[in-house]
Amino acid sequence: MQTLEQPPSATPKPDADTGAVSGPGPAGDPAEGHISKTVDQSLVDLRLRAVAMGGLVIDQVASCVRALVEHDAKLAELVLSRETLVNAYDGQLDRDTLTFIALQQPVASDLRMVRAIARAGLELERIGDESKKIARFASRAAAQGGHDPVVAVSRYLRHMGELSVTMLRSAVRALDEADAGLARQVLARDRELDAEFATALRQLMSFVMQDHQFLKATLDTVFALKGLERMGDHAKNVAEQVLYMVGDDAESGRG
Amino acid sequence: MQGEQTSPSAGPPSVSITVEDRKAVRANPPKARADALNFWYGSNQALKGINLSIPEHQVTALIGPSGCGKSTFLRCFNRMHDLQPDTRYQGSIMLRPDDINLVGAGVDPIEVRMRIGMVFQKPNPFPKTVFENVAYGLRLRGVRNRTDLAERVEGALRAAAIWDEVKDRLSDSALALSGGQMQRLCIARALATQPEILLFDEPTSALDPIATAKIEELISELRQHVTILIVTHNMQQAARVSDFTAFMYLGELVEVGATSMIFTNPGKKATEDYITGRYG
Repeated sequence: MQTLEQPPSATPKPDADTGAVSGPGPAGDPAEGHISKTVDQSLVDLRLRAVAMGGLVIDQVASCVRALVEHDAKLAELVLSRETLVNAYDGQLDRDTLTFIALQQPVASDLRMVRAIARAGLELERIGDESKKIARFASRAAAQGGHDPVVAVSRYLRHMGELSVTMLRSAVRALDEADAGLARQVLARDRELDAEFATALRQLMSFVMQDHQFLKATLDTVFALKGLERMGDHAKNVAEQVLYMVGDDAESGRG
Repeated sequence: MQGEQTSPSAGPPSVSITVEDRKAVRANPPKARADALNFWYGSNQALKGINLSIPEHQVTALIGPSGCGKSTFLRCFNRMHDLQPDTRYQGSIMLRPDDINLVGAGVDPIEVRMRIGMVFQKPNPFPKTVFENVAYGLRLRGVRNRTDLAERVEGALRAAAIWDEVKDRLSDSALALSGGQMQRLCIARALATQPEILLFDEPTSALDPIATAKIEELISELRQHVTILIVTHNMQQAARVSDFTAFMYLGELVEVGATSMIFTNPGKKATEDYITGRYG
């Protein structure tokens, strides 16, 4: 089990290729302005930790898809090895948000922010799980020199992977900057991902009807596509939490 | 509720809770209603055009920084200001169902205080026995019959959740009780005359957490019989015990709404800043 020893503010920001984060929050940071600077700092730390976790998860998604379509066993292994780190982030975020609630008893915007961060952490952890499953499949596929069903829909896998990463990047940035507009864009893009999933499934069905010998690999590919589609849902959930956090959406506070 | 109440469209999340709370408001008509209430200490205007309905059988909490006028507002209800010279009311606080103006010139403050009880920050029992503390208001009201008195004193002590602790000490001095017990005795004293509204002014700020929890539990139970208005500096207490929260600032009512909404998504930035500790 890997641990997170460095404080969140010292966590390296994800790079431009994969990450979502850049610089400190905008002026009028919703986490700041308290009489108690401890509260300011705790909220900023919590958010930065969630954002750092987001950066890692974004890279997991991009890497697992690349491992699958490029038959890259090493990259798949990297994703699998980093899964414990994702879980460590999640556990730490869970403990820290609980401690913050117990000690500071936040209300109103502070409470909404802590809740949004906690739930975003949960969604990110699930995206991490989906990446892990795809990486496992990628690892098996690479060992056998690649699977035809994967090749048949590789274009869709790539595109869905890119869409997921884009959505996730926007969702994490929206969380970081409390940006409702960006969060709404994520919600809109989820339909695009769903449509792509449906098209990829049809493509895969016609492939498997022509050649039954790849039934198992086809099923695995379906699961991979479904995993990417689910990632979009989780990214959407993160975005909904952002809207809840900024008090900007009637539906987002539910459930 | 009146005043600048948060509308559902202004504060989005927790909508389902809010709708329920709004139903509750509809189910509970106002017991009292302040209309354009102004109040002056000499030339200093402490309350500025307060419009606020107090729903019957509900707990309404008044919060705000020191000097915002919340205690002043509370004390208008039982005419406590009449004890100070050079004070002036303007506007009205109408008490239902008979629609008398509590701050009207022709209204007897003593009569008002019979109908509107008050519990103070520091427990202030009379230097008399436990029994006499509770019987005091009843005697003032002309209750002479011993059996009657004993029954009503017991009833009030039970309602204030202190009967079991004092039933064998009724003849002891009230000053021998613990702080929490004294405060509950004061609540019993206020309840004995069967008030319609009970005012609490920082009722637990001098008590430890256990005694505080008992008083808070008591407030929750009492609302079935009496309408409650409470001033508290303890935000979490307002959140725990009240159905509605009103935020006051500089003598004005800034916002009032269901407590669940005020503490999750208040409509006004000033409220948000105050309850999240952002007032500099």
